[in-house]
Amino acid sequence: MSEIRPLRDAVAELIHDGDTVAMEGFTHLIPFAAAHEIIRQRITDLTLVRMTPDVIYDQLIGAGLVRKLVFSWGGNPGVGSLHRFRDAVENGWPRPLELDEHSHAGMANRYVAGASGLPFAVLRGYRGTDLGGRTSTVSTVTCPFTGEELAAVAAVNPDVTVIHAQQADRAGNVRFWGLTGVQKEAALAAKRVLVTVEEVVDAFEPRPGAVVLASWTVDAIAEVPGGAHPSYAAGYSVRDNAHYQAWDAVARDRDAFTAWLDRTFPAQREGAVPA
Amino acid sequence: MTDTLTEITRADVCVVAVAECFRGDGEIIGSPMGTIPTIGARLARATFEPDLVLSNGESLFFEGTHRLGAKPDEFAAVGWIPYRQVLDVLASGRRHVMMGPVQIDAHGNANISAIGDWAKPKRQVLGSRGGPGNTINHTTSYWIPKHSARVLTATVDMVSCIGYDRAAQVGTSARFHEVRRVVTNLGVLDFVSVDGAPATMRLASVHPGATVDEIVENTGFELVVPSDVPETRLPDEAELRLIREVIDPRGMRLREVPA
Repeated sequence: MSEIRPLRDAVAELIHDGDTVAMEGFTHLIPFAAAHEIIRQRITDLTLVRMTPDVIYDQLIGAGLVRKLVFSWGGNPGVGSLHRFRDAVENGWPRPLELDEHSHAGMANRYVAGASGLPFAVLRGYRGTDLGGRTSTVSTVTCPFTGEELAAVAAVNPDVTVIHAQQADRAGNVRFWGLTGVQKEAALAAKRVLVTVEEVVDAFEPRPGAVVLASWTVDAIAEVPGGAHPSYAAGYSVRDNAHYQAWDAVARDRDAFTAWLDRTFPAQREGAVPA
Repeated sequence: MTDTLTEITRADVCVVAVAECFRGDGEIIGSPMGTIPTIGARLARATFEPDLVLSNGESLFFEGTHRLGAKPDEFAAVGWIPYRQVLDVLASGRRHVMMGPVQIDAHGNANISAIGDWAKPKRQVLGSRGGPGNTINHTTSYWIPKHSARVLTATVDMVSCIGYDRAAQVGTSARFHEVRRVVTNLGVLDFVSVDGAPATMRLASVHPGATVDEIVENTGFELVVPSDVPETRLPDEAELRLIREVIDPRGMRLREVPA
């Protein structure tokens, strides 16, 4: 059963050094506030999983909290490169970043397998590419019915999945709508689930097309209006495009990034431990 | 309007060459990535390929012909294709994607992951994205805004998207594999099989103002060059009007291919 809690407490209890953490949400509902709380608490040596790492992971990588990235696309949407991600991969700054690179469909299917309690998923993509030689999470399997050789991708079961949703109700159920990605599968595949929400409502009004995560699939809910900024939450906020554009200059330069980190997380830089 | 042939830019020619890639596709999803591919796909649908299904790049299928950079609420939405559902439909082969490779070889194997040693690359780019699934499951074309031997290279550092030799090795799983064309700022390349060998790249046409020698010099592998290479066709008046007044009035195409 989920509990409604302050974000700081939920992050401190659910996310630990060395964890594999998936933060999902595509185009909107990207859980930036939770990521910032991770930076604030200096939770480190993380393996981060995400189909489309964007600015949210650039910040965590630049802050030196990430050991490994599992992904299929890394960029600043509509702007260009993720400079902190590239600096870590190309130059090892501020620490080396190990990569587990997959295709989009591979990532989605890895979550589906994880959520289904299966050890792997099957697809045709990857066959013929060099990806299999660069990761231990891609192999092949022979179809027992047709004899076709197919790609197998290992299930992903994050220690923690973090998502942002529009609403929770008082019973601790979560609901989100609009563009939905793989949040449901990522949540069901995880050992622990943290959801930040725009608001807690007494009860959900009917809404076609929404995805509901039942209370028993979620550990903690934190009410954080605007918790997806600079991405958005359909029905609550709009995307802050200028913020994404401005990030390019911040991330391009190590000093500018460090200054941003100091400015945004002053206690973090002094090594202060949150109470 | 005083459109004359002398005013046609290289970018206009590239747009039409991209549009031509989609000719004959019918009612499948066209997925152009990048500026000139997007203009070209919209031009194809506005003219000779009216059944092509296009999305606004986010989540809506739309009808009509819209300008580049139109906001989501400007599109006449006719369907809903969020990210996940693309994965559900592409395995049927009914999609034609146009991507931008950072490297591509003679067989059409393309790299969109990283330049240099994968373990410690000189340049990390965006990642494999949909490439491995796209290329094995449906038709792919490529757009290269700057034709150079660094992009069209003998060996790619990583195969993220499979070409004809890899598809042949994979066998029946690659049942819908097709790398149709590579459009660059200098010309159009397609693929031809010689004596049953896996197909390799052939010079199909040269854009007006470019030369065969220029293309051969700027290609890092041996192209099949027919004895008589045609010129890429020019846009007609109706196409020029659509490009300039409807789809790309702000001239974004000229940022990819300067006049």
